[in-house]
Amino acid sequence: MSKEVRVDPMNTAFARTMEILTYIGLALMIVPGIAYIVSGTGYVKVEDAISNWDKSASEFWKSVMGIEIKGYSWFLNNLSNFDCLSIVGIVVLAIAPLASIITSTVKADSKYKIILLIAITEFIIAIVRPLFMHVTGH
Amino acid sequence: MDWWFWPLCLFVFTLIIGVIAPISGVGGGVLFVPLTTAFFPFHPDFIRGAGLIMALTSALSSTPHFAKKGLANIRIMAPIVIVSIVTSILGGVLGLWITSAFPEGKYYITIMLGLVLFVIFAVMLTSKRVEFPEVKTVDSISEKLDLRGEWYEPTLDKVVEYRVTNMKIALPAFAGVGFIAGMFGLGAGWANVPVLNLIMGAPIKVATSTSMMIITVNDAAAAWVYLSKGAVLPIIVIPSVIGITIGARIGAKLAVKARPKIVRYVVLAVMLLAAVLDIYKGLAGLGYVPKLF
Repeated sequence: MSKEVRVDPMNTAFARTMEILTYIGLALMIVPGIAYIVSGTGYVKVEDAISNWDKSASEFWKSVMGIEIKGYSWFLNNLSNFDCLSIVGIVVLAIAPLASIITSTVKADSKYKIILLIAITEFIIAIVRPLFMHVTGH
Repeated sequence: MDWWFWPLCLFVFTLIIGVIAPISGVGGGVLFVPLTTAFFPFHPDFIRGAGLIMALTSALSSTPHFAKKGLANIRIMAPIVIVSIVTSILGGVLGLWITSAFPEGKYYITIMLGLVLFVIFAVMLTSKRVEFPEVKTVDSISEKLDLRGEWYEPTLDKVVEYRVTNMKIALPAFAGVGFIAGMFGLGAGWANVPVLNLIMGAPIKVATSTSMMIITVNDAAAAWVYLSKGAVLPIIVIPSVIGITIGARIGAKLAVKARPKIVRYVVLAVMLLAAVLDIYKGLAGLGYVPKLF
């Protein structure tokens, strides 16, 4: 009896990319994250975070840093701090599925190339949308 | 109270969730958000952000292994995520807009979370699992997209081939699930698996693995909404991810030895209690009932 499994090449390409980026993302998220919690210092001091974490995200940032968050500059401009570096790890994790879909597109047939390109476009819109559209509160 | 108290509590709490999730068959992500909302002092924005990153991390860790074996199938995932990426982003945007635009927004979200938990509870209690569903006819979309695959099943010592169907019925269901996952930061295995297994006819192992693959895309897309609003705090995310990752490894080993049904019922009962507490907490915040604590 044959145990040969024909795994779709799209699947294999998807898996390899996701595996690599997940390792990188986890390391980048956890190592600086632990350093941040242990040291207690960062872009947002641990003490400040704890005393304000019962507020909504928008109120939290106004109270702690006096800023309104729009987009990604809040962590990208402060990468010398462990907490922001940890967020970069989360960014790598959040980009892993997009990168995996892009690599699997190379192995896809024409029908799936179109479907995956639509998914890629939607994903890119998800990433850049906050830079153009801003939901405001009261 | 010392600063390390809550992060340590969160680590122990998620460690326990991680251990009991594989034993009970109830997803860790779906336990984390309602229980943390009920028992911890964090705002729901940060809990949902952390829940989303936790569910994403778990799904990313397991998907490559399943995809290489042919169990998680990108052919099935691709048409589904075209719909669910959009709805998961909409869910995330709406959830954060409610807490930002209304002073009482967090209480509305807490009440809605409790109500959604009742639905999840009902789905978990009533849905059955079919190991190898029989697919007699295939709908036109599934036929055109050639939604089929195969994997080696060690318990049968053979390669199992399968195909799926009913894409037209499944797509609206996945749209709804994506919205709920994005809005509440919940894992969506509780809904993805029954739709893939019972409606589309995917074998249960393919359904659970492909569900993970779908979660990676949906939750990653929604995560950008939370990142762009500053609703992801490392002080909450890091202890949670480490706790649930270590716990899940312990739980997976224990689950191989025994999966007593009583554990599943206890966990479902705790989930029901969290649903009631979340609704009560929301109503108390709005001033309809007295505060408990």
